[in-house]
Amino acid sequence: MTKWVVKGLKTGIKTTGYPGIHETAEGVSPGRPGVSGIEGTEDFKSIAESCPADALTSTKDGISLEQRRCIDCFRCSRLAQNRITRDDGYEWADFTAAGKPLGPAFTRSVHIRIVDAGACAACLSEIKLMASPYYNVHRLGLFITPTPRMADVLMVAGPLTEHMRLSLEKTFEAMPTPKVVIAVGTCALSGGVFGPSFAAQGGIGKTMPVDVEIPGCPPPPLAIIHGLLLASGKFRKQKDGGAL
Amino acid sequence: MMVKLLPLFFITCMAGPLIGAILPDKKNPAVIAFTGAVSSLILLWLSGSLLLSGRTFVEPLWYLAPFGKLVIEIDRISALFLFICGLVFFPVSIFSAGYMKQYIGKYSLKSFNLFFHLLFASVVLILIAGDIFLFFIAWEAMSILCYLLVNYEHEDDEKTRSGFLMLAMSEAGTIAALLAFITIANGHGDIAFAALRSDASALGHIARWAVFLLSFFGFGVKAGLIPVSSWIPFADPASPRNISAILSGVILNLGIYGIVRINMDILPISFVGPGLIMLIMGTVSALVGILYATPERDMKKMLAHSSIENMGITIAGLGAGFIFASSGQPALAGIAFIAAFYHMANHSIYKGLLFLGAGAIDCRAGGCHNMDRLGGLIKKMPWTSLFFLTGALSIAGMPPFNGFVSEWLTLQSLLQCSVLSSKAIKIVFVLCGAGLALTAALAVTCFVKAFGMSFLGMARSKQAENAVEADKTMTVSMGILAALCLLLGILPTYVIPVMDHVTQPYVHQSVTDELVPPFFTVGTGNNKFPKAFVSDFHALGAQIGANELPGRGLVIMHRGAARNPVIFAMSPSYSVVMLILLLSGAFVVVRLFTKGRALVRKPAWSGGIRKLIPDITYTATGFSNPVRVIFATIFRPITISDPRETVSEHFRSAIKRDRKEVHLVDRLLGKPLFRGGRYIADLLAKMHSGSVNAYAAYVIMSLLIVLAIQIWW
Repeated sequence: MTKWVVKGLKTGIKTTGYPGIHETAEGVSPGRPGVSGIEGTEDFKSIAESCPADALTSTKDGISLEQRRCIDCFRCSRLAQNRITRDDGYEWADFTAAGKPLGPAFTRSVHIRIVDAGACAACLSEIKLMASPYYNVHRLGLFITPTPRMADVLMVAGPLTEHMRLSLEKTFEAMPTPKVVIAVGTCALSGGVFGPSFAAQGGIGKTMPVDVEIPGCPPPPLAIIHGLLLASGKFRKQKDGGAL
Repeated sequence: MMVKLLPLFFITCMAGPLIGAILPDKKNPAVIAFTGAVSSLILLWLSGSLLLSGRTFVEPLWYLAPFGKLVIEIDRISALFLFICGLVFFPVSIFSAGYMKQYIGKYSLKSFNLFFHLLFASVVLILIAGDIFLFFIAWEAMSILCYLLVNYEHEDDEKTRSGFLMLAMSEAGTIAALLAFITIANGHGDIAFAALRSDASALGHIARWAVFLLSFFGFGVKAGLIPVSSWIPFADPASPRNISAILSGVILNLGIYGIVRINMDILPISFVGPGLIMLIMGTVSALVGILYATPERDMKKMLAHSSIENMGITIAGLGAGFIFASSGQPALAGIAFIAAFYHMANHSIYKGLLFLGAGAIDCRAGGCHNMDRLGGLIKKMPWTSLFFLTGALSIAGMPPFNGFVSEWLTLQSLLQCSVLSSKAIKIVFVLCGAGLALTAALAVTCFVKAFGMSFLGMARSKQAENAVEADKTMTVSMGILAALCLLLGILPTYVIPVMDHVTQPYVHQSVTDELVPPFFTVGTGNNKFPKAFVSDFHALGAQIGANELPGRGLVIMHRGAARNPVIFAMSPSYSVVMLILLLSGAFVVVRLFTKGRALVRKPAWSGGIRKLIPDITYTATGFSNPVRVIFATIFRPITISDPRETVSEHFRSAIKRDRKEVHLVDRLLGKPLFRGGRYIADLLAKMHSGSVNAYAAYVIMSLLIVLAIQIWW
């Protein structure tokens, strides 16, 4: 036991300083394709068609990328070498058009109910990491609760399969107002590779009002924390990072 | 003189069956309610006045040729038991008016009417008997009437068997008790208790032990003492619920009365041994009782096991009292006796209430008494639920109800064992205290289960779904008992002096000042309360409201003049006032803060499942299963697996699994007894060869033996 104590003291604090300090450590973000700098009249059409999730659309003077659909497969960047850039940040979350933060009363303590609406477990794995010592969301007053009765935030991952639709609706109904819904990952935003089908809704936005969207496939823990901080009202705007 | 009411009581009691015999069966429940209630009111008036005045009333009746004079004697002990008896009979009589209606056309209500009133009269006769003959005549009458009432639904063989078991055990106990009385009488002719008291002082040590053991285990059969109480879990559930309430609330007390009458009054215990046995046996009874009550899913059986538990606590309290008294601690003895009597009175009231509640459920939920099949009754039977909850809280020892006061006093008096000199006795006290504390904790589990699983949640069967609120007579009678639960819980300062009256003749000291000191009225010249002691309390605010408040409000155990005198203190009456003030204050504050808010009601959270059906909700068995698992070494369940193979060996169409439990007492005591009896019977059977010659030889041999004895003796 003494060894652990000594080791712990030697190791020091490893927890990330985010959001106080901008985290720059290697590997905190898997990166995602960016589309800045793609111009010209090359065979954009074939690049756009190569996207398995229909996230790329060729326009008149270039190509546009819809992050809500992107599954981060980087197929496009392999085809168009050096043309598709790489975004190594993580502050990707944003409010939807109707989305609003919880309000001033919730800046210090927010309880989160997580629902797996048919996710492949990648998003859930990243959500789980939020509570690990490195990210340690409890220091920010974010807590995960097993019951919707005590939850302020409903965090959903997955394309919302038919089997989970009723449960998710019941969970949303059971939460007290004010409440905020966060959609985590491409599937929850747009259906991802599953899309709308006989088995899935194609995103949870069709069933309930989503307030904050966190794109990524999966989004890294810091992106999820960023989304939670937005939802709780600690950040007023998306690009407000670093100012607590 | 109040005792003039006694003939009036017997007349009203007998009027019931007479009026009932004239009227048709249909009218009989109302007659039972009326005459039963009137006679119990007479009894309450009579015993209450005797209890308060503290006078002993002795009246010789008439001379019976071979036995001597028959005497009626009502002292304070009798008066206390009579009062408790009246408190139970009054609501039970009223309850019967509604409850017995379900038997119209099935069983004879005239005979029930007769048995009910006769039982009441015989119980009263036992308690006022002043000599052995009257006592045992009434006792036998009570035993037989109990059998007749337990076996009221006589078309059910199961119930008849339970009745016979009760009768057999009760008779065995009676014989032991009778032997105890005979040992005391010791060949002297007079059978009056007064004469026995003077005979008793001449008894030797061994005879005293014999009297104690015979009376303790003999009356213990009726008192629900653990090795001899196997009848309770069968008889209580078999009888109609109003009779169960009488069995638990009155008949069990008679066992205690027998023990107390002999060991406190006729032959006062003067050495430590009997007290120790009582303390240990009481604790064992309490523990075993509650251990079997907690996992029980049948509500009636659970209540019956819990009766054993409560009687165990009472007996443990009495045992502690006897130990303190024989070790020269009269004050502590008085406190322990008060705790024991208090607990007995409380048990009568709340167990009566709970049995009546079970009866109301039984009556209105189509005979369903399996707690796994009930549920959701709080919406269907709101009043019954409220009163059952009161009873459950009382029996679980929750303030401000009565169970708390007596269990707390019992435990506190056990904790005072530090004043005793013997280390061994101290260890016994500590272990028994721990056992009783475990009992109290399990009782909470048991009655949370009983209330939660029967009244809350969803209805788990059609009967529970179609339940309707009980009759007015039923709810009113339960309400009376519930009110008594609350009153005895918040006014212990008024009850304790009355109980003190009862124990005073044995402990030769009043402990009212030790337990409920009169802080408001105490003068400066009082020896028991020196000035420093009183001013200590005044500094704490004990003087606040001295002129406004009606009486003593604090139950407190103290060391009189010593420094830091308080050992423990509580004030249920003041704390209930504070509780009401705080709760209403909190309500008002919350209301003020949330005035502008809208209230939204949403269905209960059920984990997001498609449809919540009763079959998947928590059951009584599930709730109490941890207790079953933890104490598996005591329960020793036997799993019976019965696979039915119909298609072929490989395809089982149904597997029936069941659990069977043999009660601890039957396993440890009953089985060896039966096996031994069988062994002896087998040996004797060898004589019966079936050959005529052998039998002729037996006849001649016995003839020779008789002749030999005649010649040479």
